[in-house]
Amino acid sequence: MATLKEKKTCSERMEDFRRFVWNPETKLFMGRTLINWVWISLYYLAFYVVMSGIFALSIYCLMRTVNPYEPDYQDHLKSPGVTLRPDVYGSRGLQIYYNISDNKTWDGLVTTLQTFLTAYTPAAQHLNINCTNDTYFFQDTFDGPNKTKLSCKFTSDMLQNCSGITDPTFGFPEGKPCFIIKMNRIINFLPGNGTAPRVNCTYVGDESSLLEVDYYPVNGTFNLHYFPYYGKKAQPSYSNPLVAVKFLNITRNVEHRILCKVIGAGIISDNVYDPYEGRTLLKNT
Amino acid sequence: MSPKGKAAGKGRGRREKLEDMKKEMDMDDHKLDLKDLEIKYSTSVTKGLSPPAASERLLRDGPNELRPPKGTPEWLKFGRQLAGGLQCLMWVAALICLIAYGVQEGEGQRGSADNLYLAVALIAVVMVTGCFGYYQEFKSTNIIASFKNLVPQQATVIRDGEKLQVNANELVVGDLVEIKGGDRVPADIRVIMAQGCKVDNSSLTGESEPQTRSPECSHESPLETRNIAFFSTMCLEGTALGTVINTGDRTIIGRIASLASGVDNEQTPIAIEIEHFVDIIAGLAILFGATFFVVAMLIGYPFLRAMVFFMAIVVAYVPEGLLATVTVCLSLTAKRLARKNCVVKNLEAVETLGSTSTICSDKTGTLTQNRMTVAHLWFDNHIHSADTTEDQSGQSFDQSSETWTMLSRVIALCNRAQFKPGQDNVPIAKRDVIGDASETALLKFAEASMGPVGTLRDQYPKVLELPFNSSNKFQVSVHAAGERQLLVLKGAPERVLERCSHVLLKGQDLPLDPQWTEAFEGAYAELGGRGERVLGFCSRWLPAGSVAPDQDPEELPALASGLCFSGLVSMIDPPRATVPQAVLKCRTAGIRVIMVTGDHPITAKAIASAVGIISEGSETPEEVAARMRVPLERVDPRQARARVVTGAELAAMTPQDLEGLLRTHPEMVFARTSPQQKLVIVESCQRLGSIVAVTGDGVNDSPALKKADIGVAMGIAGSDAAKNAADMILLDDNFASIVTGVEQGRLIFDNLKKSIAYTLTKNIPELTPYLIYITASIPLPLGCITILFIELCTDIFPSVSLAYERAESDIMHLKPRDPRRDRLVNEPLAAYSYFQIGAIQSFAGFCDYFVAMAQEGWWPEQCLGLRAQWEDPHEQELQDSYGQQWTFWQRRWQQYTCYTVFFISIEMCQVADCLIRKSRRLSLLQQGPCRNRILVLAIVFQVCIGCFLCYCPGMAHIFNFMPIRFQWWFVPMPFGLLILIYDEIRKLGVRRHPGSWWDRELYY
Repeated sequence: MATLKEKKTCSERMEDFRRFVWNPETKLFMGRTLINWVWISLYYLAFYVVMSGIFALSIYCLMRTVNPYEPDYQDHLKSPGVTLRPDVYGSRGLQIYYNISDNKTWDGLVTTLQTFLTAYTPAAQHLNINCTNDTYFFQDTFDGPNKTKLSCKFTSDMLQNCSGITDPTFGFPEGKPCFIIKMNRIINFLPGNGTAPRVNCTYVGDESSLLEVDYYPVNGTFNLHYFPYYGKKAQPSYSNPLVAVKFLNITRNVEHRILCKVIGAGIISDNVYDPYEGRTLLKNT
Repeated sequence: MSPKGKAAGKGRGRREKLEDMKKEMDMDDHKLDLKDLEIKYSTSVTKGLSPPAASERLLRDGPNELRPPKGTPEWLKFGRQLAGGLQCLMWVAALICLIAYGVQEGEGQRGSADNLYLAVALIAVVMVTGCFGYYQEFKSTNIIASFKNLVPQQATVIRDGEKLQVNANELVVGDLVEIKGGDRVPADIRVIMAQGCKVDNSSLTGESEPQTRSPECSHESPLETRNIAFFSTMCLEGTALGTVINTGDRTIIGRIASLASGVDNEQTPIAIEIEHFVDIIAGLAILFGATFFVVAMLIGYPFLRAMVFFMAIVVAYVPEGLLATVTVCLSLTAKRLARKNCVVKNLEAVETLGSTSTICSDKTGTLTQNRMTVAHLWFDNHIHSADTTEDQSGQSFDQSSETWTMLSRVIALCNRAQFKPGQDNVPIAKRDVIGDASETALLKFAEASMGPVGTLRDQYPKVLELPFNSSNKFQVSVHAAGERQLLVLKGAPERVLERCSHVLLKGQDLPLDPQWTEAFEGAYAELGGRGERVLGFCSRWLPAGSVAPDQDPEELPALASGLCFSGLVSMIDPPRATVPQAVLKCRTAGIRVIMVTGDHPITAKAIASAVGIISEGSETPEEVAARMRVPLERVDPRQARARVVTGAELAAMTPQDLEGLLRTHPEMVFARTSPQQKLVIVESCQRLGSIVAVTGDGVNDSPALKKADIGVAMGIAGSDAAKNAADMILLDDNFASIVTGVEQGRLIFDNLKKSIAYTLTKNIPELTPYLIYITASIPLPLGCITILFIELCTDIFPSVSLAYERAESDIMHLKPRDPRRDRLVNEPLAAYSYFQIGAIQSFAGFCDYFVAMAQEGWWPEQCLGLRAQWEDPHEQELQDSYGQQWTFWQRRWQQYTCYTVFFISIEMCQVADCLIRKSRRLSLLQQGPCRNRILVLAIVFQVCIGCFLCYCPGMAHIFNFMPIRFQWWFVPMPFGLLILIYDEIRKLGVRRHPGSWWDRELYY
């Protein structure tokens, strides 16, 4: 064994390595003859071509079998997420601070809201129809143009005081700010079991004081005719219904935690793991 | 100084130390006369020490016992378990993980604790396997410890003129001690008075010939002189009184024992293999890491991020489960071996035995039964064979002749040995006897062949006897026989013949004639040539009262003439029954068996021929010379397969000569060798590139045992020093057990190969998700914790169960592996596992991943480049391919589902992988898919764990496993089938076209 475990000096090791890379006596390059390298490379090339072919075939079959209109499973979309505009994130979720007298601190917030609402101008909504029924808008056939389904119109004027039309500053300078709450789209999801889901905002942790809120549209409901959603392909111009909330009595210079929940059958809002499922939490001063 | 030079220097240092041994021993105590001795040790040769002086010296010198070799301290032993090749790799990986974790923390990325978990898991694996290995070692050390004589040895000591019994470890220098037959000499002793004292110095010199001890100084060298008895040698007979001159570690034996601890342990072959393998892994890991580091930089990741990727890839390449697999596989085999009487002290020794190509075996006790036994008798001009089997199951000879009646009577009477009382129910062969080896053999033979010796002795009470001595070379005694007296004599045949005038043939008293004498010479030469110890027996009837009990026994030889010769008896230490077969097995397995013994060359050669170390038809140069009638010098050594070398010849040789001899003669026997020469022989074999196993039992063997790649100590006959130096212990002292060990060692080497191939394969499907994640920016398909579950939980059982796989062919018909060429992990193994099977598994995983993603709403083309948005915790409304909006946590659950799906894919493919790894050459059907029950069980278990992880509620939040849809289990199955079919094709090619390009590239 003594011959096996002889320690080598660094230069000997380098020499060994050089010899491994190219051995002039045996004409071996990295332990193989060049022709051998060609063969082995061809073998691996063939192997990977075949494997990639099988893989591509599998993916092709997969895409042939998936339904283009709705996903096969919605295991993780049991309940829609709820988001808030303007969305400013701090280290722990949504955090919005601004100084009433310094319009620079809230200009950005206002701009965010206005940009967001451009998708809800009548011009942007012109493809959608006016819906008046307060029931689910089921469509079993493709009634829209190009084999699509129809979507209901939601325009920003439905948000009244918070539409940015009457008050382009959304009440920020008065200390009565507007926030817009939106519910995520889920295909075939029917919230509320026949009654329209509505938004409810409260203080968290400080139950003694009562938060006064104005909801737009009235009662803060999402009208049922916006549901169900039939997917991007069927309803290309679908836009989510919104609810605006205007906080009327926020004490200034105190940090508040406000929780806005969407209340309705089928909407889970107490999942400890997902803070944005069915609710949105806001810190506000 | 280069490391090489340093090593050589170290070797030289040790050699010098060995050579120094003789010089160091130049004590002069044996040359002093008693007065000077008394002065030197301030004691009295008549009254001994005074008790206070003795206790004072005891305090000064310490107890009289061999200190166990400064054994490695326990923490160091444990530390060694944590510092192997694989362990170091894991430490480095853990360190990298911690650094990566630190970097990510520094960047302010939250939720990146994966690296921390990984580091903790890596360290835990090293610690747990370390504890496991340590426990194994600890356990076998305990087995060794249990051999130790628990009853403290007693010594008779004279202090202040009073005889006392004290524990031998309380003896001090200057003590006056008494030893008698059957005692172990309690310290190095200068003999002052002796009566027929004989000692067996075999534990020191290896020669078991009894040596006389007497007060006079007979030789310059303390080792040769008669007036010193050495610690731990056996006093066979007689009594002696002496002064203690050395105690404990300062005794000669103590010095040899401490010398052994100076010989450094060789690295085991498996350790070398694992180092080689770690080199491969580390090389590949860094290559992969660097490649993707460059790729990441080119894609435009920031440097720090690319660095984290680099580290993650390097760590992902570390096979976390491998260390546990190797440890468990080795200890399973160790356990199996322990059941077959081989206790392995060091786990790695299991495999070393498998790569052994030379075994240097002792003769006495290992190849032979270690008991003198009557092998042949010669009477009535015929050689009769006695039964030499261990259990007395052999054939007996014709006992009808009257000569036999007389001969047996002489054998029984002219014998001083006797059974220890109270053993009537013990089989004769196992009874304890007081007396020397040949007398014991004769006594047992007599008892076995003609019934109770005691009755016969009562019938013929002993009148007078003269014991055997080296000048007479015979033993004579006179027994009363009613009216007459019977004089019986036994001794060296030529001496016996001198005193005979008649011979007993078929009960007839005939005068000697030259024709008979020739027949006698022939028989004597033949038996002697078989390496047997021959004794002649004769007798004569004397008239009553010829000898009186109070007569001087020295007058007996004068009476003993004109005797009647009855027969010759020859004795030998017969080979164990299982040994010839075991030697043959070694031979077919390409292992060379070399006998190294302290015995006579003739005996050694006879035993070597009997057990097949010198095979039938092989000749020594001497025999060739005799056959061809040419002088020995003109014999071409190549004509002689066998060769017997004596210690004296060996001493005159240079190491190169010895290597030449070992090369020329495949069958070697070394006789009359000293322990130091054993070391030289081992070193020469090692220089020839052999992996050498050495058996030994004496203290003197311990340097050779340590030097050998695997030292095998004898459990029964072995001394503690030998057991300490050895790597393995044979509980039954049987050579055949070594062969079992070799078989198991070879099997575990093959099976480790399979286990490692199985374990390495899944590294690729664990790594590719990360690579694709970096380059194609898809959501991460496989998480770190999931990988740890694959490595350390589900896949451990199948990889361990491969250790139970039976051999594909008769491994004992193959040559031992060449440690330079047949590596544990070779290039085809790594390439085939990584780039072929591993690749198929990766494709299976990705296929299943994309299915799970697409069916939940994320089509493959959308997944590409999705990473940044997908992982943004502030993005609560990310749109999938159907326009649905996902919150961050909903995406997380989807990601965990992907982890689980990928996990299941790897598991499904690993089931196929496990099946293909059962054999490397044979078809799965030939190997028997269900024959290894444990493997089947392991696969079932693996699948059950998979189910449990998926479907046990709560797993999602702890270990990131999600319950997945049933059909996703089936997506990877066609790929598993593909693996099975592809490997069958590979094996078919390997079997059909041995030596072809296919065989070279794809057979591992």
